[in-house]
Amino acid sequence: MNSAAVPTPIEDVQGDGRWLSMHNRFVSQAREMEPDVVFVGDSLVANLQSTDLWEKWFAPMHSLNFGIGGDQTQHVLWRLKNGELECIKPKAVVVLVGTNNHGHSASEVAGGITEICLTIREKQPKAYITVLTLLPRGEKPNPLREKNSQVNALIKEAIKNIELCQVVNINRDLVLGDGSIDHRDMYDYLHLTWQGYRRAFEPVYELLTQLLQENEETLLNDVTLESPASDNPPSEGAGQCAE
Amino acid sequence: MVLSQRQREELNKAIADYLCSNGYMDALEAFKAEADMPGEIERKYAGLLEKKWTSVIRLQKKVMELEVKLNEAEREYIAGAPTRDKRSPSEWIPRPPEKYCLSGHRAPVTRVIFHPLYSVMVSASEDGTIKLWDYETGDYEKTLKGHTDSIQDIAFDHSGKFLVSCSADMSIKLWDFTTYECVKTMHGHDHNVSSVTFMPSGDYLLSSSRDKSIKMWEVATGYCVKTFTGHREWVRMVRVCSDGSLIASCSNDQTVRVWLTATKECKAELREHDHVVECIAWCEGNACTAVNEAMATDNRKPSYQGPFLISGSRDKTIKVWDVGVGLCLFTLVGHDNWVRGLIVHPGGKYILSASDDKTVRIWDIKNKRCQKTLDAHSHFCTSLDMHRSAPYVITGSVDQTIKVWECR
Repeated sequence: MNSAAVPTPIEDVQGDGRWLSMHNRFVSQAREMEPDVVFVGDSLVANLQSTDLWEKWFAPMHSLNFGIGGDQTQHVLWRLKNGELECIKPKAVVVLVGTNNHGHSASEVAGGITEICLTIREKQPKAYITVLTLLPRGEKPNPLREKNSQVNALIKEAIKNIELCQVVNINRDLVLGDGSIDHRDMYDYLHLTWQGYRRAFEPVYELLTQLLQENEETLLNDVTLESPASDNPPSEGAGQCAE
Repeated sequence: MVLSQRQREELNKAIADYLCSNGYMDALEAFKAEADMPGEIERKYAGLLEKKWTSVIRLQKKVMELEVKLNEAEREYIAGAPTRDKRSPSEWIPRPPEKYCLSGHRAPVTRVIFHPLYSVMVSASEDGTIKLWDYETGDYEKTLKGHTDSIQDIAFDHSGKFLVSCSADMSIKLWDFTTYECVKTMHGHDHNVSSVTFMPSGDYLLSSSRDKSIKMWEVATGYCVKTFTGHREWVRMVRVCSDGSLIASCSNDQTVRVWLTATKECKAELREHDHVVECIAWCEGNACTAVNEAMATDNRKPSYQGPFLISGSRDKTIKVWDVGVGLCLFTLVGHDNWVRGLIVHPGGKYILSASDDKTVRIWDIKNKRCQKTLDAHSHFCTSLDMHRSAPYVITGSVDQTIKVWECR
């Protein structure tokens, strides 16, 4: 039994019920706000909301952010199965979770992420699913980084057969040539700075823009596929009809 | 750049076609094997890669030309804007910068409206309050509290003695605008009440809801006297024409419907938007002339009788309809995001629209084009109103502010 792939609510160790409060708020936001894009995951997703990039890139797409700090795959899975994907018709769902699954092996984490994708597929058959690769962590190369890249390799294979589901690599340029991570990108070598968010989420922004405008893009394609001559009708043609 | 799966497949096929048509047969076979793409390449991909390759440059050139033209046009009309004393009420349009930027609401502003007589405007918000402001001085006047959830819409009766509001708390409230007290609360909808408006006589009011229905209420008693059903989803807005005989509504079901007030019959179902229709407005008086001028060609002077209606949608377009024949006459394209608010200029020459692209646009009806764009707010612009006689436009936004714009 892979406990990373079994829906589990978080244990309220501190006793203030915040996790459940946030989940309940997300459920009611989903009911009221009609998002086109939903982000789900852990603190890396949650913190994105307090950046300028969220306002500039993702808020205009009518996005909702369902990130909760510390969440592991089984917790996100529980939330998705308990109301966060009801009553909405998002065009895309973005997933980033797994780096907090310390008690699980790489293949278990990948199993959890796959289960999340299958749940989204079942609840939202028409939405594009965008799975983000787990980010590297720790200033220098270390076993957790290794594990996260194994997870990334595994999910690429595992989601191949899920329709409208693709992995986006958000790790580009985060690890420097000497294998270290710059504190200007990840201030605690786990969470992203503003600059780090910019690097990591630019491909996500590009892809979402394209997915959301796919219909319009077809239009543009049709227009541009007409021969260049149609822009500037040849003058001899005009001569023939001028009688 | 990241490509979606579909784009990648298209690109692969276009590359394969390119290799094939240029006789790079070894590369083609190797590429087909590696890209896992057996069989022949469909004809529609013939020449696609080359076309894309060149069209980028062509479009870039075109964009540059257009930008130059735009700059010229902009210089011309900014320099050409009339001064305050020369302005005429039928021509004036809002111009930047805003006269006032008012804050006070603690959540997105959902609707802004002018009082028909006093120099007062009213705003409604997701924070559950209604606020009164003096638009000439920019002063905050008062807050009306009573609703327990987001307020979705507000409206005055013709005399300005009564204000009506509706809310996600499923209630409709009637406010006496002399004592500022809530005099009636009406329940009856089973879900979020999205929009509300008075009948021209002021005896009845109309409401629309996420429960898919439209209801008519008697103001004196607070009883629901009629229910209009037919929309298949959330009804977003309801508006009545000036003689009260027709009611228009729009919905998440992507249609605009027009109802006969007397019989509750659905007279027209207007279907052409391909996303949720957010807002509607009747196009009456002088605006009818402008619509006919827009439809005129060199050798044809049409005489569409109307009545005319305009609608704004999440598909980013605004459509102008002839309800009489049930046809969309033309479409205004330009907004980059959902269209959230619409109003017809009192002079009848322009349509003003508010959008989630944060702008307000002023559309010249006759020439069917956007004459001016105001970068209005730092977040979605949710609502706008234009005063019937004074030179002011007001806008509300998710950025929680209200702006007053002077017209010239």
